[in-house]
Amino acid sequence: MTTAVETPGAQMEDFDEVVRLYRPRIFRFALASTYDRDAAETLTQDCFLKAYRNRDRFRGESSLQTWLLQIAVNLVRDWARNRRLQFWRRLLAAPEPDAVREWIPDHDLSPEVKAMVREQVAAVWRAAGSLPERQRTVFLLRFVEDLDLLEIAAATGLTEGTVKSHLSRALQAVRVRLGRIK
Amino acid sequence: MRQHLSRRQISAWVAGERAPEDERNVAECPECRAEVAGLENAVLWFRGSVRAWSEASVPAANRSRESLRRWRPQWALIAATLAILAGVPIYRNVERQREAEQARADALLWKQVDAGLSRPVPAPMEPLLSLVPGEIR
Repeated sequence: MTTAVETPGAQMEDFDEVVRLYRPRIFRFALASTYDRDAAETLTQDCFLKAYRNRDRFRGESSLQTWLLQIAVNLVRDWARNRRLQFWRRLLAAPEPDAVREWIPDHDLSPEVKAMVREQVAAVWRAAGSLPERQRTVFLLRFVEDLDLLEIAAATGLTEGTVKSHLSRALQAVRVRLGRIK
Repeated sequence: MRQHLSRRQISAWVAGERAPEDERNVAECPECRAEVAGLENAVLWFRGSVRAWSEASVPAANRSRESLRRWRPQWALIAATLAILAGVPIYRNVERQREAEQARADALLWKQVDAGLSRPVPAPMEPLLSLVPGEIR
């Protein structure tokens, strides 16, 4: 019995399905990276447009998800470079604890714990916003998108060692921010 | 006495790199356990918040496209008005040219009429004038 092996090109044949499957993840990464809903929407559309135009270049060396995230990482980087001032302004306006209230999944928590969680989430947002671009990208790919180190290396074009180093620094920055609210 | 985990070790632990020695440390030291748990929890809450915000933002982004679509007819109206306003000077210019041409044509006609009226006799009869004595002309 032979098993059908899906070729990289075959994954791209139904591009609508590719968009349906990966759009939420790409949008989420763009949103967390830019802290700008409209920009995230535009970058997501650009990402799939670029992927569609370059679909012949997808060789399956990485997963389709990593390949798409690689495109998104580059688009976010270009976006941040082109709008540096606007970008930093937005990051400086990172959310206060009250602003993240609606984003915290509803759990059966006491009001005190909820308040603490809000503060912690806001502190991590602020820490993420203050990170250098590569550290932030690595941090988001690891802790929001659940990519492992090798996948992050493939998506960012960095070595695994550099990814580890960025991740470690990012976490230290988060820890410092969290320490300030204790 | 066992040392507490360093900042780098705590970060490495949360990033997923867990050396056997660190595992023992976290298992045996309540302070180290509390440190890594605190950072892990904060990062997990952050992930939850990003995901919730992202999910809430997708319909909003679509809504903004909807509102853009609703605005489109108004924009079309504005664009049409602008096109009309932009066209007015051109129309006026063409109108002015037409009037000038008409005026030139009218002037030429009047000249011809004047010339015709100033003739003592119609043009076909002009050769006969030479036969008539000057006083009568």
